[in-house]
Amino acid sequence: MVIKINDLVKKYGDLVALDHFSLEVKEGEIFGLLGPNGSGKTTAINCILALLTINSGTVEVFDKPMSPDAYDIKKDIGVVFQNVAVFNELTVYENINYFCGLYVIDKVKRAALVEEAIEFVGLQEFRKFYPKKLSGGLLRRLNIACGIAHKPKLIILDEPTVAVDPQSRNNILEGIVRLNKQGATIIYTTHYMEEVEEICTRIVIMDRGKIIASGTTQELKESVGSDENTTLNDVFLNLTGKELRD
Amino acid sequence: MFLHVFVNRLKCILGDRQIIFWTLMFPILLGTLFNLAFSNLASAENFSKISIAVVDSPAYQKSMLKTVIGFVSQAASSDSMFVVTLTDEKQAIDLLKNNKVEGYISMKNGPKLFVKQSGINQTIIKSFLDTTSQMESTFNSIVKSDPVKYQNPINLIQLQLSLTSNANLLKEVSASKSKPDTTVNYFYTLIAMACLYGGFLGLKEIGALQADLSTQGARINVAPVHKMKVLMGSLAAALLVNYAEILVVLAYLILVLKVNFGDQIGYILLLSLAGSMLGLSLGAFVTALVKKGEGVKIGILTGVSMMLSFFAGMMYVDIKYLITKNIPILGYLNPANLITDGFYSLYFYDDHTRFFINLGGVLVFTTLLCVGTYLVLRRRRYASI
Repeated sequence: MVIKINDLVKKYGDLVALDHFSLEVKEGEIFGLLGPNGSGKTTAINCILALLTINSGTVEVFDKPMSPDAYDIKKDIGVVFQNVAVFNELTVYENINYFCGLYVIDKVKRAALVEEAIEFVGLQEFRKFYPKKLSGGLLRRLNIACGIAHKPKLIILDEPTVAVDPQSRNNILEGIVRLNKQGATIIYTTHYMEEVEEICTRIVIMDRGKIIASGTTQELKESVGSDENTTLNDVFLNLTGKELRD
Repeated sequence: MFLHVFVNRLKCILGDRQIIFWTLMFPILLGTLFNLAFSNLASAENFSKISIAVVDSPAYQKSMLKTVIGFVSQAASSDSMFVVTLTDEKQAIDLLKNNKVEGYISMKNGPKLFVKQSGINQTIIKSFLDTTSQMESTFNSIVKSDPVKYQNPINLIQLQLSLTSNANLLKEVSASKSKPDTTVNYFYTLIAMACLYGGFLGLKEIGALQADLSTQGARINVAPVHKMKVLMGSLAAALLVNYAEILVVLAYLILVLKVNFGDQIGYILLLSLAGSMLGLSLGAFVTALVKKGEGVKIGILTGVSMMLSFFAGMMYVDIKYLITKNIPILGYLNPANLITDGFYSLYFYDDHTRFFINLGGVLVFTTLLCVGTYLVLRRRRYASI
């Protein structure tokens, strides 16, 4: 098992962000984590990464307990955060090299990995550009490159396609599938249902800190008694309701 | 790992124009403005020669007063005390009336000083006249005590010279042989302020390291590397930049603006390094401790730096002396004052006791701030992000 979360509770003061949340992610999956705003997706990811304190429950990654100093686990994890996490004062190459350098000390090996990551996200022509000179789509690609350059076994992508044009989004999705084919297990959160339908092998829908449905796209559709025209978006709204969220 | 972080953080800091402006260009601009504002202040404090008139008479010509006035009013000497006009009584009165002289001396019925008003210059002339009269009285007593010896004119001249040579004029000199100049304190506080502005570098580095402060920090926190290793590389880069900036500001003040920092360059560099460390640790501490936005932290750092610099005398030098005189403990609790006073003590004293007290204070503050920062940063999980 790549990830095993058992009975996890995380509170922000009186607000219960994760309410006895349990989850299993198997090797080789592209695992979709869906939910409305404030449902607890990002909190769940931050708990998996041992960034947040937890109130109770356990988190295991690669069958080992996850903790802030579990470096042997962390070296095999890559994270693409929702917000672009790069340094404006470093070029595209330098940013990828810097973050990759936190995982790979050997300079020669790292240089090859950085080149591979640049090629993977199609930023060859922009390697000397500073982030401020990049478009939103290119920035997202740089963000992804910084997270995956060290060739992790588990890649967590938190809404990586927010505010990018359809071409860039398509490019990113194709890249995620390629990473999966290369052997990486993917956890993918997004609000775009068609993306999930397109690439995810299994989906979990969560709301108010709990899992309210899980399965393949087809299984989810069947669970709400849908016909052949029903989309995942319909399933999502059926399960989480149509009222506006924060 | 250290070198990897150090080199890249160095690039990040040097590429941040805003931070370079505030930590390097701003102190240089402020120093230039100080120089323009204070260029005449030091000269205004210089002693001005006092114009006096002396009524010429046979009594004056035979008096010791004439000899002493001769000593203290030599036109070629920059140390001369008086500009003397030898005249008759009527013209002396006119000169006094028209404010051409501060007072006039007449030997009629014994040496007497005539002034139009009281003031420092008049007090100086009066003190001078009293001292000379006492000197003359002493001279006469000595001659009377051994009339045979002083029949010899050579002995008389030797006695007169020995007495008049005691009429030393007081001159303020610093122990480091530097020219006394109170305006240097403003420039010393400027360096203290520049050191504290190094806090912006501390803010930048801690901000880039904490998962709850930046996404870059979150990325570092999920990497398989101990946060303290990254912190060491980051702070080393920040310290190098801050110290280099302080040295550039110092060089500008010393070489371009000709501000006198004394001649003890080793100690100046040592205090500058300690000041850089202090500023950096202050910024790191504020950033780690205050759970508010970056704008609030910048505001706090700027406010604290300016307030501490103000109390060290940056805007009004007498504040420093008022605090030192009335609430000395506050002076020791003000890091900006410790840096300022450290430079001041190097400038004015040969003895390094006061310098090392100040340096020690700076290092104690730095240590406390570093420990405080560590206690906050050692936490490896966050309550919220």
